[in-house]
Amino acid sequence: MSIVALSELLGAAVRDASGSVRGRVREIAVAPQDHPTRVTYFIVKTSDGERIVTPDALKAAGASVRATTDSSQWVRYAPSDGVLLLKRDLLDQQIIDVHGRKVVRVNDVELESIPVNSHLLLNIVSVDVGARGAIRRLSKGLVPSFTLRALLERIPPRVIPWEYVDLLETDPARRVKLKIAYEGLAKLHPADIAAIVEDLPPAERGAVFETIDEEVAAEALEELDPDIQVSIVESLDKGRVADIVEEMDPDAAADLLGDLPEQRSDEILEEMEPAERQEVTHLLEFGEHTAAGRMTTEFVAVGETASVDDAIEALKTFEGSREAVATIYMTAIGQKLVGAVPLLKIAISSPTTQLSELSEPPVTCAPDTPQSEVAALFDKYNLITLAVVDEHGRLAGIITSDDVISMLRHTH
Amino acid sequence: MNWLKEWRVRIALVLAVVGPGFITANVDNDAGGIATYSVAGAQFGYTLLWTMIPITIALVIVQEMSSRMGAVTGKGLSDLIREEFGLRATFLLMLALVATNFGNVVSEFAGIASSFEMWGLSRYIVVPIAALAVWGLVVHGTYNSIEKVFLSASVFYVCYIVSGILAKPDWRAAALSTVTRPESAGFRNYGYLSMIIGLAGTTIAPWMQFYLQASIVEKGITARQYKASRLDVIIGCVFAAVVAWFIVVACSATLHNAGRYDIEDAGKAAEALRPLAGEYSALLFSAGLFNASLFAACILPISTAYAVCEGLGLESGIDKRFEEAPAFYWLYTALIVFGAGAVLVPRFPLFRVMVLSQVVNGILLPFVLIFVILLINDSELMGKYTNSKWYNVVSWFTVAVMIVLTIALAIAQARG
Repeated sequence: MSIVALSELLGAAVRDASGSVRGRVREIAVAPQDHPTRVTYFIVKTSDGERIVTPDALKAAGASVRATTDSSQWVRYAPSDGVLLLKRDLLDQQIIDVHGRKVVRVNDVELESIPVNSHLLLNIVSVDVGARGAIRRLSKGLVPSFTLRALLERIPPRVIPWEYVDLLETDPARRVKLKIAYEGLAKLHPADIAAIVEDLPPAERGAVFETIDEEVAAEALEELDPDIQVSIVESLDKGRVADIVEEMDPDAAADLLGDLPEQRSDEILEEMEPAERQEVTHLLEFGEHTAAGRMTTEFVAVGETASVDDAIEALKTFEGSREAVATIYMTAIGQKLVGAVPLLKIAISSPTTQLSELSEPPVTCAPDTPQSEVAALFDKYNLITLAVVDEHGRLAGIITSDDVISMLRHTH
Repeated sequence: MNWLKEWRVRIALVLAVVGPGFITANVDNDAGGIATYSVAGAQFGYTLLWTMIPITIALVIVQEMSSRMGAVTGKGLSDLIREEFGLRATFLLMLALVATNFGNVVSEFAGIASSFEMWGLSRYIVVPIAALAVWGLVVHGTYNSIEKVFLSASVFYVCYIVSGILAKPDWRAAALSTVTRPESAGFRNYGYLSMIIGLAGTTIAPWMQFYLQASIVEKGITARQYKASRLDVIIGCVFAAVVAWFIVVACSATLHNAGRYDIEDAGKAAEALRPLAGEYSALLFSAGLFNASLFAACILPISTAYAVCEGLGLESGIDKRFEEAPAFYWLYTALIVFGAGAVLVPRFPLFRVMVLSQVVNGILLPFVLIFVILLINDSELMGKYTNSKWYNVVSWFTVAVMIVLTIALAIAQARG
């Protein structure tokens, strides 16, 4: 087994069975739907047009490529969009380094060539994104190859194993054919996905959000800058946007829809499930910079006679954000707020304890409280959540500390 | 009242994208540009004013392509060159870009030095402070905050307009020479011809293409906002041309009329203006020079660092820490330190560095412009936003003329 760089193979002379040079390597193709890493064929430029040579007809692949077949047996190449062409689609292009969690540019591709019986198997092993690949390509043909190899060995490699590479493809049809699914990316933390997406050009951003799971997409979208959110949402079709927006925190969803042109946000609302739509429309009616504009309507509330056990049951079925469960609210008939219990107290009390024994008088604010006052309340009372109560004393929603942090960061 | 609302919406649309085109065109009137315009006015009076209109058109055409490419692809020019033309072409291009931009940075710091020296402030005080300010601005800024600073700096170009008015030129003659065909006899004069080449050559520089496209991308302008963005480019170019016109007129009305043809640079021009047009006119002139030089000194190093790092796939961006993007910060810092240093080192061959950078500029520009036209006609990249047929004819013609003039300038300068 030996490692060979794509840049060494490209342009290499190809000899046929008779040992004479018949052409030069122009491209190397991989068909990911058949095998994710295996080279399917070489495209060889000969004096008689472009021909295909498969690795099972090769006995050497390096600075010179030797075939075991006669050049007359090489099939004529016909372009196909079902294959990944390493030079065109990979070399010099941007990819996502899932392990390093960033967008990088490919300097070279490393392949391993494994002799099997009397022919070769060629696999993609990794992509080179460091100085080694760059110097190899820059000095190719200018420095004798043995000097170059000796020089390159001194440079520490910066390679990304192929399994940590997510390719970028904006054409949906081609993405399906080439099995490009952003699988690695989708496993990352939404905040990391957001950071990567920020580094991508707009078309690729849209492609990522079309592909990844809605729930992950929703969380990642929340982490992005409002401007970028809008441009992504504008590039997706309304059905897909509605699916993503349904998964978002209602307050974040309302902020996003509030930033869109009215016609567009109406279209998206129409596509949404009625329950989610209602919540979001309700929030949309408030000014963005007030307590109501910042609050979420997904909180944990139990009756005033509930026990610790009841509270735990309510937590089990709660689908809102993790931040919202820091406080369990107690309401009387008609959603009237009567008390608040920190999660910690519930965790350390026996299941039969009445919540009213643990309750503290909740800190509240009105829906039209300006966001600067909201922040002041969080600061003064060291809050994790703040209840928003309407004029009838009903619990309308809560504001969580993470919302306050991002609010503060965006106003300064 | 409907039309009022419609107009308000339209103005809001334009304001949302204003910035990149306006800033780029204005930075084009940097220390080197102002020097050329001053010399042109001092030596040839109004007889070169006719070049302003064709130069503006050429500038608009070239800039428009870059901004369109940025809006449609969302990628910088060096990214696109890398993806379409490979590593080696990109590497050589970037090497040349660093060389020519370094020369430009040096001339900006020289401009900063001379704008204060005539008022008795030593360059050993002014240049280090300016260099530090430039370095700090970018390291502590975001695109939006920097853009605001730059847009305000653009306003200071009005200095030249006021300075031109204070010089009390013959408006009728100036206006007439702007729109009438030049006399053919002038073209037989070698000095006149090389001045035309100089004017055209300083107008379109490679860094502008990289900077404009990158800032369009950074601002997040998309194909949909493209029409408004085009207006930004046109307004910017026209404003820059008006400023250039006033510089030529000011120098011509005073220096040329007084027989002072021997002006070599903008600092000398400001000094010569003092006894002729008065203290205020000279003050405005040198304030304008300082502003323009500082402005360009801010933009050139950062745009170079961005273009090079993106093209070569190195970490870049002011939102990254030093350790995360070492190449980016080192390149940026080195350009400023050596650029400012070159002005301070006694007996540094300042003139030769600038000539050399002008020569590299002449070699680099053809490649950049040809790459721009090839890329913008790539339908896989640009979709329906490729050049139309007639636009292609016009832009190839413009590019060809610009290439010939720039190479001619480089050769003329190399010969001294």
